[in-house]
Amino acid sequence: MIEWFTATDHKKIGIMYIVATMTFFVAAGILAMMIRAQLARPDNALLSAQLYNQIFTLHGTAMIFFVIAPFGLGLANFIVPLQIGAPDMAFPRLNATSLWLFILGGIIMFLGFATYGGASANGWTNYAPLSEISEGTGAGNDFWTIGVLMAGVSTILTAVNLTTTVFLLRAPGMTMWRVPIFTWEIVATSLLILMAFPSLTAVLFMVLIDRHLGGHFFDPVYGGNPILYQHLFWFFGHPEVYVMILPYFGIVTEVIATFSHKPVFGYVGLVLAAFAIAGLSIGVWAHHMFTTGAVSNPFFSAVSFLIAVPTGVKFVNWIGTMWKGSLEFTTAMLFSLGFLFNFLLGGITGVMVASPPIDYQTHDSYFIVHHFHYTLGGGSMFALFSALFFWFPKIFGVRLNETLGKWFFWLMFIGFNLTFLPMAFMGIEGMARRVYTYPNVEHLALLNGLATAGGAIMGIAFLLFIANVFISAFANVPVPSNPWGGYSLEWATSSPPPEHNFETLPPITSRRPALDLMNT
Amino acid sequence: MKTFVGLFFTSTGFGLAILIAYWFIGHEETTGTVLLAIMTSALAFAATYAVIAERNARLDGDGEKLTPEDTKGEDLGIFTTQSAYPILVALSVLFMLLGILYSPLLAFVAIVALLLCLWRLGAESARI
Repeated sequence: MIEWFTATDHKKIGIMYIVATMTFFVAAGILAMMIRAQLARPDNALLSAQLYNQIFTLHGTAMIFFVIAPFGLGLANFIVPLQIGAPDMAFPRLNATSLWLFILGGIIMFLGFATYGGASANGWTNYAPLSEISEGTGAGNDFWTIGVLMAGVSTILTAVNLTTTVFLLRAPGMTMWRVPIFTWEIVATSLLILMAFPSLTAVLFMVLIDRHLGGHFFDPVYGGNPILYQHLFWFFGHPEVYVMILPYFGIVTEVIATFSHKPVFGYVGLVLAAFAIAGLSIGVWAHHMFTTGAVSNPFFSAVSFLIAVPTGVKFVNWIGTMWKGSLEFTTAMLFSLGFLFNFLLGGITGVMVASPPIDYQTHDSYFIVHHFHYTLGGGSMFALFSALFFWFPKIFGVRLNETLGKWFFWLMFIGFNLTFLPMAFMGIEGMARRVYTYPNVEHLALLNGLATAGGAIMGIAFLLFIANVFISAFANVPVPSNPWGGYSLEWATSSPPPEHNFETLPPITSRRPALDLMNT
Repeated sequence: MKTFVGLFFTSTGFGLAILIAYWFIGHEETTGTVLLAIMTSALAFAATYAVIAERNARLDGDGEKLTPEDTKGEDLGIFTTQSAYPILVALSVLFMLLGILYSPLLAFVAIVALLLCLWRLGAESARI
């Protein structure tokens, strides 16, 4: 046990990131089930309004700060040094510090439930001046702020570490234009984190100063400005959306290329598109603030529309990679294809709400809940499971059961769409987000009933996944170093890899060193 | 110019372009302009540092024709696999933040512990 608590090896840290994020995922999933149970029928009184607020706040915060974003970076911890032929991350102790800041941050945030007054109830955005009112948002809100602050600092340190590792520790012959797309996406994500996350750290400190040290940054009574909070928060918040999607673009690229048995189509285009998305995402923060009337709607709308262009380039590249390929429909591939379908729907609604007139109509409605769940749930979460099925043999030395995996995929795909597609119609019918109950009008009862049924299917599917992990671990059938015929360097070492990753490094003369090694 | 230096310069250029565009279109709203200006300055600082660092850098990864055989015997340093200080640093940070809000004594103890851990961490790195 002590060996794990004191580990600085990137592989152990990567595994601990994965285990921690999946643990937080279970906690956030239980909260999601409680939300759906409360909304299963109109005028339900299963949960009180205050408890409901706490539950959706911690569900959203956990999914964003403690599951989707850190899973991508945690996976990068394990995979990136292997993909570039490095013995470890550039700063192993800093890496371990990042991990423990993240884990302790998540624990302290959830401990908010144990405080008098309960956990934070302000939503994942924690908007001021609501977050500055001490009554009813006592220690739970402080715990939330400290937890997210620690997770934010941890993310910045991880970004520094990953960037340095990729720039300085590549193996001989692994030029930047030979590194795999997943590693490129991690570089783009890390630069984005370095640009955007300091804003989150600053704004959370300002909230703590207002709450405890007599500051008035956001209190209009004393000349403060609540809109300033929104600017600082969304200057981090919208790039955060891309921090939660770019690593998953990389995962999908690796999986599709491997199971199409073809080189990546448009390698340079994919890299440039990643940086274009990262760059443009810095200039769209106030599209979350159209309805405040305090921002330049034409500017933010135009830049938001522009992001669709590099994203479209990526879709063309993924389809081009599959085109005339010898497709193999493993569970990892199915999840990546599910990602393409769901993310496309989420992207299209994203373009819709980038238009201020549509945004005015749908702002704070279930249409927005539908939109972001299709990008982050149907997109990132599906890619997350794709990654687990793809790299599980490399990380743990055993392969997950494919039959159970395919059942898991189809149940998730059906459950996901049954849960979140009706939400678009709920939003159009006027159901506001974050309400703890609703009247029996229009089709809201039917649509919410469908969404709850879909949620239950996803819950069952996840239990199947947990069973799969235990069954596969118990069976303990060893796998070869390259069970899928993967092309990047991590497949050229044993599964799991030795302590310093490679007994002998193969020559790197192309973008597909593992395949070159197999062919010689 | 190495790729990573180019990346920082391109990012700075992009930041500058978006700053200018934002200032022209939405200059009545100063918060965004200031945020973009700070971000672009930080990127410019990183890009300048990258240029200086590049002068002394010899990166085997950039050698297109280099093989592991060519760099055999090169000292990469020692990558430690165990250290107790990272988790202690994280715990100290947590208690420092809680202490600042609720108990000055706890904050003081946590800050001392944090400094001690950082010092030991530095000493441990130097030893290796």
